[in-house]
Amino acid sequence: MNKTRTYNDSVHTFGSLWSVAVLLVLMAVPLVFCIRYGAWPTLSAVWTGLVPVAVICYPTAIIEIVAYTPLLGTGGMYLSFATGNISNLKLPCALAAMDTAGVKSNSEEGEVITTIAVATSAIVTTVIMAVFVLALRPFIPKLTDPASVLAPAFRQVMPALFGALGASYFSKHWRISILPIVALTLIVMFAGSIGTGVLIPIGVVIAILGAFAFYKLGWI
Amino acid sequence: MDFREDSFMLTMALIVIVFILGQSLFFLVKAMKQGKKLGMAKSTLNNTVIQSVLFTITPALSIVATVIALAPALGIILPWIRLSVIGNISQETSAATAALEASGVHSITVPVTDKTTFATVMWDMTLASSLPLLILPLALKRLQKGVGKAVGKAGNAKLTDALAAAAFIGLISAFIAKALAGRGTGVQAADGTVTYNYDGAGLMSVATLIVAVVVMLILSKIAEKHNVNWLKNFAMPIAMFTAMGVAVLMAQVLPEEIAHFEFRAPIVS
Repeated sequence: MNKTRTYNDSVHTFGSLWSVAVLLVLMAVPLVFCIRYGAWPTLSAVWTGLVPVAVICYPTAIIEIVAYTPLLGTGGMYLSFATGNISNLKLPCALAAMDTAGVKSNSEEGEVITTIAVATSAIVTTVIMAVFVLALRPFIPKLTDPASVLAPAFRQVMPALFGALGASYFSKHWRISILPIVALTLIVMFAGSIGTGVLIPIGVVIAILGAFAFYKLGWI
Repeated sequence: MDFREDSFMLTMALIVIVFILGQSLFFLVKAMKQGKKLGMAKSTLNNTVIQSVLFTITPALSIVATVIALAPALGIILPWIRLSVIGNISQETSAATAALEASGVHSITVPVTDKTTFATVMWDMTLASSLPLLILPLALKRLQKGVGKAVGKAGNAKLTDALAAAAFIGLISAFIAKALAGRGTGVQAADGTVTYNYDGAGLMSVATLIVAVVVMLILSKIAEKHNVNWLKNFAMPIAMFTAMGVAVLMAQVLPEEIAHFEFRAPIVS
């Protein structure tokens, strides 16, 4: 137990240091650009562009941090939020890895598996992006062009990814699954343009409340 | 040379990329060592790496597609940096669009030629996504303690498992609901012609979803019944690729109005 605490503490320390370092590097990009070209935008221009996005992004970021904490583990959290693409990549990747390894998210082994999965996924994503952007740039528009033969495959990445990922959960926990799927489908039917970022926390709350109620009723 | 894609921008991108790779490698090695310390099988740790590599390829390609989508306005380098660090597809696209609109540019397809406008977009995309990097060092430890206490209060392994599964099912349900009932989008050009993105729920999204679920269930069953370890790792990517292949096949074989049939009228902007 003591060993794990030491490991966890160390992950927290390094995680915090890396987060601050990444933040500084990120801020340096626009700063260095402005210095080099002497192109300083006015505060009001930055503010006007930032507000409509921030009012959605900031609350979503806080909700995501709270919602993903029990699932991603300490190392997984620091890494996921530094490298991004969490709900569409890092989180499903970590959960699939735990499922295959047969470990639980709140265990010492779960902490190890989620960190390995998120780190590997981050490295692969970074490398794939670098390779495609640098070497294959002339070909990408042809692949992803709406008229390309492969375009339907790219448009259907999400149903394919979450169908494959959800299959084992749905079959194992079908009683818990019905309520959030039906509820969210109804919500989407009435609010067709609702963003996935808003829909996810609603789904998580509905599913947890439903599972708790079913447990109390003795259905699961 | 286009300032959006010159060697200066490229150097900045490479510095950011090396930094992010360094961080990921650092945590990967640390977790591997801890796994060995805990006595976890080497094969389990290695399989996690292999499975995660396979799992990541397709979604990573769709992230590349977003970089391409933002490239006409911003060049290739800035979207590449932003989607390598913190960014995600929907957030970066909306941040770039809002920043451009605030600067009087009303299309994501028009090249940004003014350096100050470009700098505005850079700041907005960066500031919009950086909050978690401030919150995590301050709050994650306390948050974990709170979650631990809540789980402790539940005090029952069966309930804890059910709640953990429910949290994840809630997340997946959001994407399933979008595939079942989400509205697609379209863009109206100045001359009135509308280009549809075919990204709404329809025959294709439902077929893809069903194929992914069915193939995954069948492969998992086979892997479990005959104890085929490699199939356990490959089941998910095979199911994904098969489902996406079906989407390509539908688009090729079915008449266009059937293949692209969506349940609801797209939102045209």
